[in-house]
Amino acid sequence: MNPLPRPILFLLLTLGLLTPRLLAGPGTEAEVRHDLVLTLLSHGPERHELLHQLARSGSKVAASVLTSWTRGEIYAYRTPGGKTIPVTLEEQEDAKGLARAIRIDTGAVLVDAKGKALKFDDSTLDTIDTDMRLRMDIQQAIDVLSLASPVPDERRSAAVKLGNSGKMAYLPYLEERLTEEKIADVRRTIEEAIATLKLGSSDPSVQIKAARNLARLNALGAVDVLTQFVANKSADPDALAAARIALRSIQEHISLVNFFGTLFRGVSLGSILLVVSLGLAITFGLMGVINMAHGEMIAVGAYTAYLVENIFGSGITLPFFGFGLHVPGLHATGSFYESNFIFAIPASFVTAAIAGLVLERLVIRFLYRRPLESLLATWGVSLVMQQGFRMVFGANNVQVDSPSWLLGHFSIDDVMFGYNRVFVVGFAIAIVLGTWLLLTKTPLGLLIRSVMQNRRMASCMGVRTDWVNMLTFAFGSGLAGLAGAFLSQIGNVGPSMGQTYIVDSFMVVVVGGVGSIVGTVYASLGMGSADQVLQQVLGSPVLGKIIVLCFIILFLQWKPGGLFATRSRNLD
Amino acid sequence: MSHPILNVEDVTKTYDGFKAISNLTFYLFKGELRTVIGPNGAGKSTFFDLLTGRAKPDSGTIVFGQNTDLTSMNEYQINRLGIGRKFQTPSVYTDHTVWENLLLSLKGPRGVFATLFSRTTAAQRGRIDELLETIRLGEKRHWLAGQLAHGEKQWLEIGMLLAQEPEVLLVDEPAAGMTDEETARTGELLISLAGKHTIVVVEHDMTFVKQIARDGTVTVLHQGSVLCEGTFDFVQSHPRVREVYLGRGK
Amino acid sequence: MRSERSRFELWFLALFALVILVILPGLNAFTSAASALHVSDFTINLYGKYLCYAVLAISVDLLWGYTGLLSLGQCLFFALGGYAFGMYLMLMIGKLGQYHSNLPDFMVFLGYPRLPAHWVPFRHFWFAALAVMWVPGLVAYIFGFLAFRSRIRGVYFSILTQALTYAACLMFFRNDFTFGGNNGLTDFKFVLGYDLRSAATQRVLYLLTGVLLFATYGFCRWLTSSKFGKVQRAIRDSENRVLFSGYSTPNFKLFVFVVCAVIAGLAGALYVPQVGIINPSEMATDKSLEVIVWVAVGGRGTLIGPIIGAIVVNAIKSWATRAFPDLWLFILGGMFILVVLFLPGGIVSLPERLGELARKFRRARAAVPEPVADSAEAKPAPEPDRT
Repeated sequence: MNPLPRPILFLLLTLGLLTPRLLAGPGTEAEVRHDLVLTLLSHGPERHELLHQLARSGSKVAASVLTSWTRGEIYAYRTPGGKTIPVTLEEQEDAKGLARAIRIDTGAVLVDAKGKALKFDDSTLDTIDTDMRLRMDIQQAIDVLSLASPVPDERRSAAVKLGNSGKMAYLPYLEERLTEEKIADVRRTIEEAIATLKLGSSDPSVQIKAARNLARLNALGAVDVLTQFVANKSADPDALAAARIALRSIQEHISLVNFFGTLFRGVSLGSILLVVSLGLAITFGLMGVINMAHGEMIAVGAYTAYLVENIFGSGITLPFFGFGLHVPGLHATGSFYESNFIFAIPASFVTAAIAGLVLERLVIRFLYRRPLESLLATWGVSLVMQQGFRMVFGANNVQVDSPSWLLGHFSIDDVMFGYNRVFVVGFAIAIVLGTWLLLTKTPLGLLIRSVMQNRRMASCMGVRTDWVNMLTFAFGSGLAGLAGAFLSQIGNVGPSMGQTYIVDSFMVVVVGGVGSIVGTVYASLGMGSADQVLQQVLGSPVLGKIIVLCFIILFLQWKPGGLFATRSRNLD
Repeated sequence: MSHPILNVEDVTKTYDGFKAISNLTFYLFKGELRTVIGPNGAGKSTFFDLLTGRAKPDSGTIVFGQNTDLTSMNEYQINRLGIGRKFQTPSVYTDHTVWENLLLSLKGPRGVFATLFSRTTAAQRGRIDELLETIRLGEKRHWLAGQLAHGEKQWLEIGMLLAQEPEVLLVDEPAAGMTDEETARTGELLISLAGKHTIVVVEHDMTFVKQIARDGTVTVLHQGSVLCEGTFDFVQSHPRVREVYLGRGK
Repeated sequence: MRSERSRFELWFLALFALVILVILPGLNAFTSAASALHVSDFTINLYGKYLCYAVLAISVDLLWGYTGLLSLGQCLFFALGGYAFGMYLMLMIGKLGQYHSNLPDFMVFLGYPRLPAHWVPFRHFWFAALAVMWVPGLVAYIFGFLAFRSRIRGVYFSILTQALTYAACLMFFRNDFTFGGNNGLTDFKFVLGYDLRSAATQRVLYLLTGVLLFATYGFCRWLTSSKFGKVQRAIRDSENRVLFSGYSTPNFKLFVFVVCAVIAGLAGALYVPQVGIINPSEMATDKSLEVIVWVAVGGRGTLIGPIIGAIVVNAIKSWATRAFPDLWLFILGGMFILVVLFLPGGIVSLPERLGELARKFRRARAAVPEPVADSAEAKPAPEPDRT
């Protein structure tokens, strides 16, 4: 359970890294290395004890050395003075097949008296041998080691692994770890692991307790184990009953998680639709112009994000009508490079808006209030633009990498929230608010609304309607560009990417009611959710889409003007 | 004259919370020439929309003749009953000739298959010639309607309405955009039609209203309901009417 | 002037019919391949395709140019007709397929145990031939009934037809929809026992398409000149007036929509055996929009325009996709923009437009100030219905 925002999480993580001791128990690296050497050179039961101690250190060094040991890659080097130093050989060999040795006790290269690195062939050194039983002990120590890792995610996955191993031997380690663990999320996983292991106990009362614990924890990972347990008829009847109850309760939890997960995906899909359709709704409602090239404005935005990313990186050579245009890069690194998407957002808006402006001046302005003609002409424009993208950027899809701060997810009660999707939802809210403010609170908005309601009157009142049209169209296209920028974070960027969204966004506009921003919001969220829910229920994205489309056609029987029809009293 | 041909009782129509028509009650008698006046937004056009099936009332009844309920019927069904409507802005088939415009409006079967196999009879041609005479467009019978002047389009639309031979004619601002002479002629035409048809005229132009109202009833609409009803002189001298409408106009 | 143009149109068509129905197939059949006059099988096949397109274009124009209904889904009906006939052709392959089974290849591949029930009647030619008409007609009827009943007009209608086509296209792309998924139906061998790969069969198919084209033209000419046609155009120009004149415009539009779907279905049915394949990409929205380009370029609101447009644009396409494959979409898109903006009447209106220009030019030279009474010039393009 970790509803913390990303930056704070980062902070915690960094702090955690700086002070591993807090989380990882006793032992600096030097101490761990000391213990390692002791272990390697010890014998018999003492070794077992030492391994046990090492296992609790949570040290990466210990893990890697122990892993090498099981593979027989730890050698005993005897100094001329008769001391034994455990070493491992570097992977890189010279021309004679010799490699430098790394001392386990210091981690430094092994040198002779003159300070020159010693080189060995692995056959000339004695390995520190292991036997079957020892290797099992070591493996156990390695598994347990990650349980004490400073990184919470590693601890969690180690607990899952141990829990599913079915080996009761891990139980004490897990229980011990539980007493030290501070992070609730990891605690829960460890408890889950303990309960899962205990389910394998031979004592029915332990089993019953374990099953109840699993149910209490809503242990998603325990479904398989529980199902197996329930299938085993020879088990104790009381334990069986408890397991059945636990299984049912967990399955209920799963369907709940799925439901909310679907809902969230629906909302995020709806947000994408919303941003895509908002521009369309404005241009359609305002100017009576159907812009079939709206999808290509999305592509303009996405390609801008692609270019910006490459300019921050190492530059790129575009096919550009066969001329091979080279765009130089800034070779940015680190957080500056990571910030490229922040720059890409306004850049996408501006480029798409400029493209819209040009389109308006060249084509659209001749076609106001002639929706059918505008539909046809802009379809022509869309063809030209798609082919243009193909020739400038290549016919294949290109990949835009997400900045690291958009990767990953957090989860609330097992429902996963991907950062990119949360970002999309937040972004959509910001855009709708911005648009609403622009339309209602600014002088430009006033002009836009006046032209929308009565073009001729506005023009008589001295409003430069063509100028308003131009700006509105540019704004609508800019919104499409924004949509493109964040679509580039979710899917591929390609010449015909706009076509994927255009049909859906037209549907949103029609269902929402032309020119109604509220209607667009409702319609896109509704369609997004319906799409995801149906996809979940029917198990097929295509069938879901078809049903949504059929539903829309039926919906229009009931409300031909859409959800929020702007009623006109005029006849024609 | 005893039973009204059109009974509108207690009708209310709301658009987005705005009451365009509220508790309107209106009776129309056969052969009458009724004039409806009212300031902008009084609900005149909505009233016609309700009568012709373009809009459905939220509550109330609209009955045509003895017992035909109009609220459940759509535009073309109501038209076939014999209620014709002329729009505020002239609405003619711009890409058809004047003659074809009238032909399409002539009373007769309206079904898909009836029109597929219909032939124009001599009687129909005669009737069209008659109508052309009435609306004085005989010379321009082969002109495309889109090429006519505004006033001529208004006349053509009236002609198309007459061709339907409706019992009730709903005429929305027939004199808009006409010269004085044309307006006067339109008035004469409407007066001559009264008696044979029942006519409701919505109008703004007071001289025109005075011309056609004569001693007939004038209904004043205000905020979606009837403010008062009576002869032109009665209405003109009514204090409330002067206040909301005429007073402001003069 | 109308009758003059009409007479010219008839002469043009008679000449066209002579070339298409007599000269081309004659030269194909009765001259040797070495002769300079010889028309190759390839050319016949290509023109057969163009003629199918021309029929499809007429159906689009009857909707758009005459009734004001811009359907972005006419190719759906074309493809449905094609599929219906393709199913028959598929079953006529018999055991000659790759898997030597009675089932069509794709069904064997996808592991169908037996022929799905709705495929069975397509073994009969008559059933398939009727299905070519009633399947598109029925789909058009259901969709049109719903759309027109709720008074969906203008651009809304276009958007909905686009959505319908999109949905259908997605459906046909699915393998479990029993129509071959994205590969569609192909590898046809026989029609009514005749070998589809022989030149003679292809020539007959070509002739049938020609006959269909002229029959469609004749039918539409009759339809549009009847009173029905007048109502149709009246709906385009002022739907409310028609509605308030007692005509049930939904019924009229539904009738036209269904008729056009049937015409498109017939064109599709003849298209499939000549091209040898039908797959879901034939019903994509893009294809329907391309048909609209043909009509716009040729001249909408005339019956000759779509025929000219379909042939001219496709001839350009055949040439351009070979000569400048990269530029074809630029040409198509550019053609569309230019026609919509500058030549709304299409090629058919060119002589008139040129005449007008010439008149203006002469007038300017004579420098006589004339009144602006030129009605043909002052007449604005009819505005489409708005809601």
